[in-house]
Amino acid sequence: MSLDERFESEVMPHARSLYGTALRLTRSPQDAEDLLQETLLRAYRGFASYRPGTNVRAWLFTILHRVRTDMLRKRGRSPQTTELTDDGPAVVPEHETRLTSGNEDVQRALAAVPEVFRSALVLRDIEEFSYEEIAGILGVPVGTVMSRIHRGRAHLRRLLAGRTP
Amino acid sequence: MSCEPEKVTALVDDALAGGERDRALAHLAGCPGCREQADTERAIHEQLRRLPSPEMPPGLDTRLRARLAERRPSPPGRLALLALPVAAVLLLVVWARGLAPVVAWELSEDHAHCYSHAEPPARVRSTDPAVVGGWFSGQGTPMPSLPAEVGGTRLFGARYCYLPDVSAAPHVYYIGPGRRLSIFVLPHAARFDDGYRVRSGGRTVALLHVGPTVVGVVGENPADVETAVQRLRADPGSRRALAEELALSR
Repeated sequence: MSLDERFESEVMPHARSLYGTALRLTRSPQDAEDLLQETLLRAYRGFASYRPGTNVRAWLFTILHRVRTDMLRKRGRSPQTTELTDDGPAVVPEHETRLTSGNEDVQRALAAVPEVFRSALVLRDIEEFSYEEIAGILGVPVGTVMSRIHRGRAHLRRLLAGRTP
Repeated sequence: MSCEPEKVTALVDDALAGGERDRALAHLAGCPGCREQADTERAIHEQLRRLPSPEMPPGLDTRLRARLAERRPSPPGRLALLALPVAAVLLLVVWARGLAPVVAWELSEDHAHCYSHAEPPARVRSTDPAVVGGWFSGQGTPMPSLPAEVGGTRLFGARYCYLPDVSAAPHVYYIGPGRRLSIFVLPHAARFDDGYRVRSGGRTVALLHVGPTVVGVVGENPADVETAVQRLRADPGSRRALAEELALSR
């Protein structure tokens, strides 16, 4: 099997879940497309040195998060510096504070969680990576992963609690 | 153990092991606040887990594949890889073109190809050796004197024929009832013993030196080939001389 065929069969099936995560991180279809595209291009460049049999999914999400960090750095933003200090819920638009129930409300609440916590939540609760895998993907200690997930869920709980009359 | 909310999160995610997990479970059993946190986090985990995965926008998959295709080893890269064997073949061709069997095969094939037409492709058509020879000389190609007739054949015309190594060789046609003959003038040296003969594809090929040029004769009829060789060898070396000879012989 050629390298291109392996890339097609091992990497491309993950494109949709990478796109989902990209959209949840960027909250913009255009940015999500750019993020996914750059992720796949980097993956393609690095695929020759990627060892078959290792965790291709975790490898792809690691690339995605590095690309995202680079994108934010270029824009002069960093989730670590601007959002880590934000302990309370992000500013949530008026209509999003009166959430009722259902997926859309959860999606909106998740989108309102600061990105540094949101990325940990998406990796854990949606993509169901283990703490160790998330630590590898984000390049932080397992204790930090635990802390970010905890705080992310606390954010989400407060946002969702705001929906009840 | 006092309340450690982050440990509760880890417990929900099954990320604690051994004694740490036992201690957290024991604490939970006696702490309604931490139990409530654990229940809430499990509910949040379930809600997020069940969120539908966003659809990729239409056309994105195609755009991605197109961008990836651009990054694949570009055609020049692939051509460069192809160019290696091609270059090797060209080198071989350049080296082999001087080899008599290779030359003979080339000429035999070209003879068959040109006579496969109802009429061989000619750039100059004349039964007059002076006209045909003059046409080549006019383009800077030195030519031996050509006979007007060889065996049962008569001069028909000529053209440049392109050999596989892209050099051009004058190809002169002689046609008679049921028989055809070709005289080629090679643009490069050939390594062979003078008087080289070979059968190739049911045709006889002879190679000989005529003055500074290498001449090849091809024909189905071996006797005609021999006649042509003798006529070329006997050639005094100039068309004028040949023409005078022909004029005298008439």
